[in-house]
Amino acid sequence: MSKKTIGRRTTLGLLGAGLVAAPFIRPSFGQAAWPEQTSVPDILKGSGEVRIATFGGTMQETQQKAYFEPFEKITGIKVRAFPGSDPTKIKAMVDTGNVEWDMAQLSRGSIMNLQKRGDYFEKIDYDIVDPGVEKQFRFEYGLEMLVWAQVLAYRTDAFKGAVPSGWADFWDTKKFPGDRALYGTNSGGFPEMEFALMAAGVPPDKIYPIDIDKALASYSKIKKDVFKWWDTGAVPIQLLTDREVTMTSVWNGRMAALQAAGVPAAVSWNQGLSKRDAWGIPKGAKNKVNAMKFVAYSTMAIPQARVCLGIPYGSVNAKSNEYIPAERLAVLPSAPDIAKQLVPYNYDWWIDNRETVIPKFNKWLLS
Amino acid sequence: MSEVVQPASLALAVSRPKTSPFDWRRAVPLLLAAPLLIYMLVFYALPVVAMLLRSVNDPTWTLSHYATLLDDVVFQKTFWITINTSVTVTLGCLILGYPVAMGLVRAKSMAPFILVVILLPFWTSVLVRSYAWMVLLGRHGLVNEALLALGMIDRPIRILNTPLATQIAMIHILLPYMILPIANALRQIDPSLIRAASGLGSTPFMTFRQVILPLSMSGVAAGTLLTFVLALGFYITPAMVGGPRDITLSMLIAQQVDQLNWAYAATLSAVLLATALAILAVARKLPGVGNAFRTSMR
Repeated sequence: MSKKTIGRRTTLGLLGAGLVAAPFIRPSFGQAAWPEQTSVPDILKGSGEVRIATFGGTMQETQQKAYFEPFEKITGIKVRAFPGSDPTKIKAMVDTGNVEWDMAQLSRGSIMNLQKRGDYFEKIDYDIVDPGVEKQFRFEYGLEMLVWAQVLAYRTDAFKGAVPSGWADFWDTKKFPGDRALYGTNSGGFPEMEFALMAAGVPPDKIYPIDIDKALASYSKIKKDVFKWWDTGAVPIQLLTDREVTMTSVWNGRMAALQAAGVPAAVSWNQGLSKRDAWGIPKGAKNKVNAMKFVAYSTMAIPQARVCLGIPYGSVNAKSNEYIPAERLAVLPSAPDIAKQLVPYNYDWWIDNRETVIPKFNKWLLS
Repeated sequence: MSEVVQPASLALAVSRPKTSPFDWRRAVPLLLAAPLLIYMLVFYALPVVAMLLRSVNDPTWTLSHYATLLDDVVFQKTFWITINTSVTVTLGCLILGYPVAMGLVRAKSMAPFILVVILLPFWTSVLVRSYAWMVLLGRHGLVNEALLALGMIDRPIRILNTPLATQIAMIHILLPYMILPIANALRQIDPSLIRAASGLGSTPFMTFRQVILPLSMSGVAAGTLLTFVLALGFYITPAMVGGPRDITLSMLIAQQVDQLNWAYAATLSAVLLATALAILAVARKLPGVGNAFRTSMR
């Protein structure tokens, strides 16, 4: 990252923090530099509308510019976006036959967990999906459309220059003193048992299948230092800003805004979890044909690259990298140098075991 | 006035044929209340019943969800935490609220001002108030900074994200529900009783012990019940400012809804509802408390 391209606010933040060592991330690139999708296959064109449920916030603002507006222009299909995507709402909608969303941003885990309980999602029409979308992101009832990471973040002013790397350091409160925060189970999430295992010395490729009792035993070692089991992405960011904790797990996209605001904090990619969001089409969606077209369009190389430029998350399309400047690529969880430090999150294991983990974790937490 | 009206209404009653199929006059109050009753039935009662049914008919008719609660450690601990928090918060509200209620009743020109101060929290969202407590109680918040400046502590102490923080924030939110019924009961006390007590040689403390306190018990009972039952259902505050192990029953219910264990969530909700109703039912039977319901209605 050359100094010239660092934004004014970031520069102020750097000066304020007096630290340049940590890799600061620019939250977004000027829209003028974004690539344009100038044509699409005729099969993606149509009429009417598609109602899309998103996770809201800056993510939806980015999606608006990255692929909602261009999709409307190029296909003639109107997009209506609704923040607040939630698998429990989809269950209620399909159960009552009142499906208000044509597609929703979810995860492979929540889609397959619902599908296990009944027929809640339409199958994806892979005939119209771009061949650049890698196989690992495709599954029967959804298509992954965003790569992100759950990683270690820390206050750079807390450890006298020592740099934590990996979960053994996170667990080491002597070498890296201060309170911690970790992801809890309050809003439909799952504990970061992978991190607990790596802290106990399990090599990243031996994590799955997770030994639940071993993970809980590892968690016990840090339990008294965990000040907060967070449930939404804003919480760890606020805890770092307010100096309530010195280290926490975070969703990587949230850190860019924090660093841009000048908070002396950094991410350690090592041993982070690489996760994905996915599009799912609720069973019986009124505009499911349009939804299928949008799934195909939004995972093409250029729309995916536009998202990466708007918010520091990665693409599922192998050809997107051609449209992303090297400097930007270097801070995305899909960048080769970063991706190799991350551990792929195993959705299949969690789909099969979530009902065993939650009660055990609750019991452990309360004991 | 009433003597004039009575014979007329009596005459009306007598002149009315006994076979009249429907008494429109008597139906008027019911008709006036009908829109609200229908609204409550459709948008509240039916969904609640449907939700509670899930606890016994998901996937088939069964009581097994309730049976498993008997050896469900997580439920039992959560239930205990909920009751424990509610009792502590109610006691805190009572201790802090009673003197305020007395002050409110005795204040003359200041009374409207005190009332506004008491009611102010009512008009602010629970979320905003919880955020405010985060600013105050944080490691580098106002309380810690003040204690440091006064030299009472050497380094910041942990208040935020402890059970104490939950209790402080909940007491703040629930205080008006305690103060107002007590103030109401205090206002009903005939001032001549207090004058009589002191005229008969009672010290102010004895007057309080033997006259004011017994006569205000209906308000205390109403305030205590209201505060306790509301405290049972708290969710946002403990989730935001509470400690890592402060899991209330409402939080467990929310977690289970998100995890799609709706039958279990419905069972927990039924238990929470039954607890609140049982407390109300028992309290109504207690001598003097029955009055409280009428007092608080005034």
